[in-house]
Amino acid sequence: MIPLLDQDAILRAKANTKKPETMEEQGLRVRYHVENPLKGGRAQRFLEAFAAILKHSSYGLILEQYVRTSLKCARCAVSCMLYEATGDPKDVPCYRSAFLIETYRRHFTLAGSLKAKLFGDPGLTDETIEEMADSFYNCTACRKCVLECPAGIDHGLLTHLGRYILSEIGITPRALVVSVREQVQGKTRNTSAIPIPAMIDSCEFLEEEIEEAKGAKVKFPIDQEGAEHLFFAPVSDYMMEADTLCGIAAVLHQIGASWTIGTKNFDGINYGLFYSDIIMDRVLNEIPKEVKRLKTKKVLIGECGHASRTAKVFLKTFCEEGESPPVVSIIELTHAALKAGKLKLDPNVVTDRVVYHDPCNMARKGWIIDQPREILRAFCKDYVEMTPNGRENYCCGGGGGTVSIDELRPYRTSIAGKKKAEQLQETGAKLVVAPCANCKKQLREVVDDNGLDCEIVGLHDLIFRAIILQENDSPEKTPESTIPNE
Amino acid sequence: MLEFWLELAKGPIFRFSFALCVLGLARIVMLSAWGAAKAYYAAGDKELPYSLIWRTTIHWLFPIRMGLRNRPFFSIVSILFHIGLIIVPIFLFAHIQLWYQGAGLWWPAIPRHLAEFLTVTTILSAILLFLARVWSSASRHISRGQEFMWPLLLIIPFLSGFFCSHPAWSPLSYNAMLLIHILSGNFILLLIPLTKISHCILTPFSQFISELGWHFPKNSAKDVEITLGKQGQPI
Repeated sequence: MIPLLDQDAILRAKANTKKPETMEEQGLRVRYHVENPLKGGRAQRFLEAFAAILKHSSYGLILEQYVRTSLKCARCAVSCMLYEATGDPKDVPCYRSAFLIETYRRHFTLAGSLKAKLFGDPGLTDETIEEMADSFYNCTACRKCVLECPAGIDHGLLTHLGRYILSEIGITPRALVVSVREQVQGKTRNTSAIPIPAMIDSCEFLEEEIEEAKGAKVKFPIDQEGAEHLFFAPVSDYMMEADTLCGIAAVLHQIGASWTIGTKNFDGINYGLFYSDIIMDRVLNEIPKEVKRLKTKKVLIGECGHASRTAKVFLKTFCEEGESPPVVSIIELTHAALKAGKLKLDPNVVTDRVVYHDPCNMARKGWIIDQPREILRAFCKDYVEMTPNGRENYCCGGGGGTVSIDELRPYRTSIAGKKKAEQLQETGAKLVVAPCANCKKQLREVVDDNGLDCEIVGLHDLIFRAIILQENDSPEKTPESTIPNE
Repeated sequence: MLEFWLELAKGPIFRFSFALCVLGLARIVMLSAWGAAKAYYAAGDKELPYSLIWRTTIHWLFPIRMGLRNRPFFSIVSILFHIGLIIVPIFLFAHIQLWYQGAGLWWPAIPRHLAEFLTVTTILSAILLFLARVWSSASRHISRGQEFMWPLLLIIPFLSGFFCSHPAWSPLSYNAMLLIHILSGNFILLLIPLTKISHCILTPFSQFISELGWHFPKNSAKDVEITLGKQGQPI
């Protein structure tokens, strides 16, 4: 039995750092900053938005099912890292899901309406909406609890829906909205507002770095028409994850891949997955436009869990322009190259103990689990696993976009990240491989705030350390035929 | 007088309750199937991971492995509870006899001793489930009234049925106990389609429905924008 956090630690983690007058003025006491939340009549507008979403989506199907089958067995509680840290019944996934299930029952079913008339239930209140706004952003939408629900309730899907409805009444963390605004409407067209010349400068700098480190001229092709792969990294990699990008470029160089970065759209991040299908749709539909402009064949996503899942799973749903382009993760591509014997990795470079952290958006459905492990085992002398892992992994604690909300850091690193910190400590690993920009940022903060002695790296960071590059004058066909379909 | 009520409970009231239960569950299944079909045809991406859905569904219908790794005591008790709850009412010889007399239907029965053993395990596990729900702060806090009620309500037909087969231990007359047994059973049949017990028919579809829930209609987001009058508005 893992000890719970004491009440003082929980209070510190949940401390609200916002100005009281702002909260008073907004009438909203959530811990994250919100730009312009609707004031007054929230319940009515929430229900209108809920009704519109139900009308045009398939969420009604799952709510009809969950209204009838929610068993309240609390099995989900013991798989939730939040509940395991706090022991607070409000952190039980089923408690959180009940916000929407009960609102649906009360306002959108005949039985709920009749019961309300008989017993005088006032229905959804502004107070409940405030509680939802807090609860849905405590959850990281990691969906580990889904594996434990005998009734098959997808609590992550309900968090997704809850945030979607809240966004329609103006309740979304400012950090997410500001990033999306720049990505969809801004000049730079990316969530970190990196000017295009700065991105190109970064790439040139990285080319020099690679040549210095590996003695090979490796290119970051920009706007190259007709390339096979159009590359989308989480844009923060251009500022913070130089080694990840160097590793990716080195692998692509080594296998002779034809790839390019597009200057009109090079950011793989899609915060729509975290708070709004409308935003997800808009951001995704920028991808095929760039594919078309540069006449590329495939979309290649860098090291990022949510970007990979969003493009792989939802581009097929929302793509407006005919057939959606095929989406490949860089991890799949590198794995296929390794299996095809196209990568030379020096087994004597990485001697420290290495552990792999599964990003939820890659592992929960079993998509990318074994591939990175096979790569790491191919050259890491001391590779270990944390328990549980793979599909049953614990979230880093910063999933669901919460890692971008700086004001939630104390919560993320002490409550949401507690389980992960314990897992890392148990392995004794010096190098923690997390092939996801979100996970990397969160895990670094977890390591710092919990005083752990380990370094957080990307998968391709380690590959970059070990890869032996050769000059590649005659590009061969990318060994993608070995990538299995999902 | 008691005989009159017994005949009524065994006859018209049972037929009414059973019919409502079957029709209610059929309605739920049809609504669910209709909703699933609509969602499938509207989905922008119709590729579903059927193999994963199938495997997960089977795991939860026979949850031995999944059950033991998390809250093992609660899970084992819950599994035992469900085994008796499903098998005894359907395969008890006395019940099959009634079906044969009333409708000419017949199917194999379980041995009497097994039925009694399962009856006792069901009663004990229902009590334990109730206590576990009260004891665990997580489940106590998220439970509604019906969560506490159901284990206790389900004990009634099982306990009264046990006394009917052991009249010497019964605190009431045989007929009085039989009346309690039949009426409580009928009451439960009526409640099944109206409460969470409808999971008895919906659980086999739940993994599929949840997966389908992630397969959004192609234009859903744009249509929501239009309905809310927000199309073209800046973020």
